[in-house]
This record gives sequence, C-alpha cells and structure tokens, in this order.
Amino acid sequence: MNVSSMDVGTVDVKQVMRNYFGDLDAAAKDPARKVAWCTSVGPAEILRAMGFAVYFPENHGALLGATRVSSDTIPLANAQGYSPEICSYLTSDIGACLKGVTPLTKAYGLDGVPRPDVLVYCTNQCKDVMHWFAWYARQWQVPLLGIHPPNHLPEVLPEHVADVASQFRRLITQLEAITGTPLDPAALRLAVARSREATDLWETVLNTARARPAPLSFFDSTILMGPIVVLRGTQTATDYYRALLAELQTKVTAGHAAVPGERLRIYWEGMPVWGRLRHLSDLFANNRAAVVASTYCNSWIFSDFDATRPLESMAQAYLKIFINRDDAYKEAYIERLAGEFGIDGVIYHAARTCPNNSNSSYNLPQRLAAKGIPGIVVDGDLCDLRCFSDEQSTTLIEAFLETL
Amino acid sequence: MSTAVEPDRPHSDAAPPVEVFWGVDCGSAEIKVVAIDREGRLLTTRKYRTLFPLVEHVHRSLAGHADELSAIIDSDRAALPPDGRQPSLRPGHKVFATGYGRHHIGFVQGQLTEIKAHYLGVQHQLGLQQDYTIIDIGGQDAKVIRATPGRVEKFAINRKCAAGTGAYIEELAHRLEVPMGELPRLAAAHDKDLTLNSYCTVFSGQEVIKLLMQGERVENLIHAMYRSVVKRVLEMTPIDTDTLVFSGGVMSHHSILMPLFAERFDAVRTLLAPNAQFCGALGAAIHGLNEESDNGLPNHQ
Repeated sequence: MNVSSMDVGTVDVKQVMRNYFGDLDAAAKDPARKVAWCTSVGPAEILRAMGFAVYFPENHGALLGATRVSSDTIPLANAQGYSPEICSYLTSDIGACLKGVTPLTKAYGLDGVPRPDVLVYCTNQCKDVMHWFAWYARQWQVPLLGIHPPNHLPEVLPEHVADVASQFRRLITQLEAITGTPLDPAALRLAVARSREATDLWETVLNTARARPAPLSFFDSTILMGPIVVLRGTQTATDYYRALLAELQTKVTAGHAAVPGERLRIYWEGMPVWGRLRHLSDLFANNRAAVVASTYCNSWIFSDFDATRPLESMAQAYLKIFINRDDAYKEAYIERLAGEFGIDGVIYHAARTCPNNSNSSYNLPQRLAAKGIPGIVVDGDLCDLRCFSDEQSTTLIEAFLETL
Repeated sequence: MSTAVEPDRPHSDAAPPVEVFWGVDCGSAEIKVVAIDREGRLLTTRKYRTLFPLVEHVHRSLAGHADELSAIIDSDRAALPPDGRQPSLRPGHKVFATGYGRHHIGFVQGQLTEIKAHYLGVQHQLGLQQDYTIIDIGGQDAKVIRATPGRVEKFAINRKCAAGTGAYIEELAHRLEVPMGELPRLAAAHDKDLTLNSYCTVFSGQEVIKLLMQGERVENLIHAMYRSVVKRVLEMTPIDTDTLVFSGGVMSHHSILMPLFAERFDAVRTLLAPNAQFCGALGAAIHGLNEESDNGLPNHQ
C-alpha cells in the first residue's frame, strides 16, 4: 500500500521494515534467540536491552486493517465470543491467527507471525491489550507479563512513577528467568538513549509540517512512523529518522507541498481508518486541505526518556502519553498544537471499537469549538469497515471544509 | 413555471454567456432538478425516482420531456452517448450537483455538499437577515444547519442509525401497513401521546409490533413515530436561534412534523422553506450562479 506522497528515494521506509521483519523471522527460527511480543507503547527498551527480538501485534493489526484482510478475520474472532464492540486490532489479529493468514507473507515473505517466548503488555493505553495477549498465552502456553500503570491522569506524580518503575523491576526479574541472563544496565541505558534520540528526531520530522505548505501529511506519517513503533531502542530507527528529517528539511526549503495548493490545515484526532487511508488522503487533497498534525502520530514522542535514570524516565514517558491522561490535559494539548500548526479545524474520528483513543464523547469538540477551534466528529473504526460509511464521512468532511 | 424549449445553437469557439444554471440533487430516494436564470429566478423543478445507473437517470432528468426546458442538446437528448462519452450540454447551460450521488455525475461543472446546498436554497428564497437553523430531513439522513445570513456556521448530521430520517418513517409505515400518504392524516387523529423508546429503526419496529399486539391504536403509534423523529433530530445538537426553517422532502410530505418541532420551543418562529423538497437542487444551481458571479455577475445567496 502506498498512500504517501513522499518521494522515498534515499530514505526507504519499506526497506527498513523489510529488514526488521526479516530479522524477526530469523530470530523466531533460531533456537538461540528469543522473541518478545510487546504492546506499542510498552517497555520495548527493556526487551531490547535483554536481547529479545521484539514484535508489536498492534503494527500487525494496522497492517491487517490497511490491507483490508481484517474484513475477513474480524468475524472469526466475533464468533469466538470476542465482541464486535471491542478493539478491532484484537479481533482482526486473533481472527487472522484462527484463519492462519498474515499480510506479512505477501509484504515480507514471512510464513507467519513470529512465535513468542514471552508476551509483555502495558495497560497505559487500554485494557484490551491485556485480553488480547491473554488469548495467545492460553493458545500457545506462553508466559504473560503485564505492567498496570495508573490511568487517565491529570498529572503524573512521583508516586505514579515509583509505582511503574517498581513494576518494571519486577518485570526484569521475570524476564531474566526466561533469558537466563541478568539485564546489563549499560545495555538498558544504551537502548533508552537510542529511543530518546529516535523519538526526538520523530518529533522534529512531524514538526516540519508546521511549514506552509506542509511537506508531509498525516497520511504520509502513518506510513513513515513504522520504525518509531517497532524499532525504538535501535540505531536503525535513529539513522532512518535522521535521513528522513534531512530530506524533509530540503523539501521545506524548496516549498514542496504534500497537498498542492494547500488551502486549509487540519488536525486529525483519534485513530487512522487503516482500510481507507487512500480514500481519505484523496478526499482531503481534492479539497486542498492538508492534514498536518495528529494525536496519533504524536503518540510516539517520548521526551522524558533519560539514559541516566532509565527505569524512572521510562515510567514517566509511558505514563505521560496522551491516551493515559485526563480530558483537561487532552483539551490543552490539542489547543496548543492547533496554535503551533496553524490548524483551521479538527476531525475527531470516533472509532467504534476504540473508545480509549476516541475523544469526542465527553464534550471535548464543543469545548474546543468555543475556543475558536471548530471540529467535526466522523464515525468509523481503525480496522472494522462495517463501522465506516464512505458516503456519510465524505459528506461530513466536505461540508465541514466548506464551513472553514 | 416556464418550460420553454430553447432552439439548438451552433457551436462557436467563444463560450456563450451562461443563461441557465441547473442544480441536481441526487438523493437516496429521488433525483430533484431545478433550473434558474442568471437573475436567480426559478425556471423549472422536476423530480424523479433515484434509479441506477444514476448518471443515465440524471441525464434523463436534465433532458426532460418533449417541449420542456432541457439542458441537453437534442441530438443527445434521448440517451447518454455511447462508449462513456459525455453528453452535450446546450450552449449557455451549466449543471451543478449535490446529494449523495454528486461525485458520480461526470458531466457536471461543479458539486457541493447538501449542507451548503440547502443553506443556499433556503437563503436565496427567504433572504433572512437574522441567524437561523435549518432542519432538513432527507431519505437517509437528517441535518441541522446553524446559519447566518452570510454563511453556514456549523452543522450536524445524524450518526450511525437511520432513526429520525425518511427511511425510518418508511420502515414504520411498512410495519403498520399504512400507505405513506395516509400517515399525516392518521397521526392527526391520535388520542394519546405514546413514546417509542429505541433509537434503532429495527428495534422501533419491534416496539410498534409489541404495542399493536397490546391493542394500541395505529393512529397513536403513527403520532408516536413522528414525535420520535423530532426527538432524534433535537438530540443531534442544541437549537439556539429564534428562527427555525424546514427543508427537504420529508418535511414537505409530513407537515405534521412542523408543529411537533414548534411545540418543543417557546417563541421560536417556524417556517417551511418554499419548494422545500427542491432546496438542495436550488442551492446547487445558486452555487453555479455564484461561481459565475466570481467572473463579474452579482452574487446570489
């Protein structure tokens, strides 16, 4: 799939992802190596430092959605008692496992998803990841380890950080029992330092869209974000984003527009509609509206990582993520970004199966509209296209753009 | 309304001034067509069932019948040209589309959403000088449009379910085995205020069946159905203007809805837009006229 308007001549995200999955596949087939599954905003740095090859099922969920394989696999999970109302990453992925299919075969030549030696989740984003990994733990008799941070925080307090850092320490002990090797503190510091460097670069990449015209759009970023999700803690991610940033800065200087004739600047709140990225990208472009900022792509900015105090800074970073905060924080966050990116309006994606990452149900759009940031709520879903209407969403978005 | 046929004119290199602006509202149930002149005066209105292929039926609606005003040159009037070629519009005619099918008519000169179209159609006809709210209930959606004399300020469209739309009324009429045209008269004969609770069309249908089994009068159920439509629409967004304008086919065919809306507000003026069912098509034509106005003609609302 290619929805990106980016010319990826020197910076090939597909090659980076191909190498990542190739290594994962090799690790899964090598008895001397171990594979850990990790949630997308889970403690990947610990796993990297302990030598695990790390696989992120949410990335697989997004791929199932983007390739629209989800439409075939979600009903299989529904029939097993996984409700159509819960996370469609979960139902897409479990359904795919039940059916024995994966888009990784066509995209990267893998026979199947890499079998885990351990499953590690963190409920800073939602509880569905816990239920998701628990299915695999039962299915394949694999150890299941979890981090349970305090949720929906107005502010992150020292006691919250101490709690999560303590959970990380217990996790490390449990993982050491699996690897048979103690964690090397220097390796952890290195992984956190690399994550910090990569995430800073990712933030700077996203911030190039402050330029008028913006050199990249949200739809580009949903593709370009692959390495920050799956390769945090590696030098590969840092090298990739440094090269990408240089390319984007050249484009800004040259006045390159992701959306030619950019007339409006839009903020996308909530999950992508993975199966309709191309449709939505074209819809906005045809109306000369550039989606220049999003909550979703910003979710992998972790500015608190600090190699001098790795566990506490990881705890702080993973607690402070947008999805784990209260509504007042979210309101102030979007308001700030709307100012920084010169936003004309906000699209709130109300994802049917992802209430935790949908922020239009508690009056937030109305509060921001009262502050001069208009918005419109579009019903849809991340993977379940039964919840998304092309016709209704097109009319809503076009009519909204007409009012701006 | 004038339906004079224009003579075919020879093609020339210089584009003739546009004299007729056509608006086509491709709705889920009906295709509505309007033509206006360059002063914004209504020349004709037409209505056809929405059938497929849509583009063929839009073409037919623009061609009209014999002796009617036509947007299509006579040689193309009978049918779309073969091999996917575009039909020939008469010199001086332009066509603009709105409605759910607006993206599927290849030969139009422009398109706009139903939101803006209904606003333009209402404002052009009523020339309101104050802020107002349009309630447009269509075949498959309901819209609430907050407007000023100059622009659409914000809007809401029903989400997820057809309850509160024309499809809901049709489904319940079917369940009750009552012809659509009979519904307003029967509702007027109600003697009890009932409430249908569900906001799902299918569940409402089940509720109606249960009440029928309990011996409830059909008249009371139809009245409850209309009250349910009002409730669903008013849940969408707050109404904060002193003027409420109704447009769309459902409002023009089910005028009982107007007083039901009105009784929910104190001191709110309610108006049914002239040509209520054609407001969207008229707005599309006005949009075309405004596009032309950018080239020097006066701007019509």
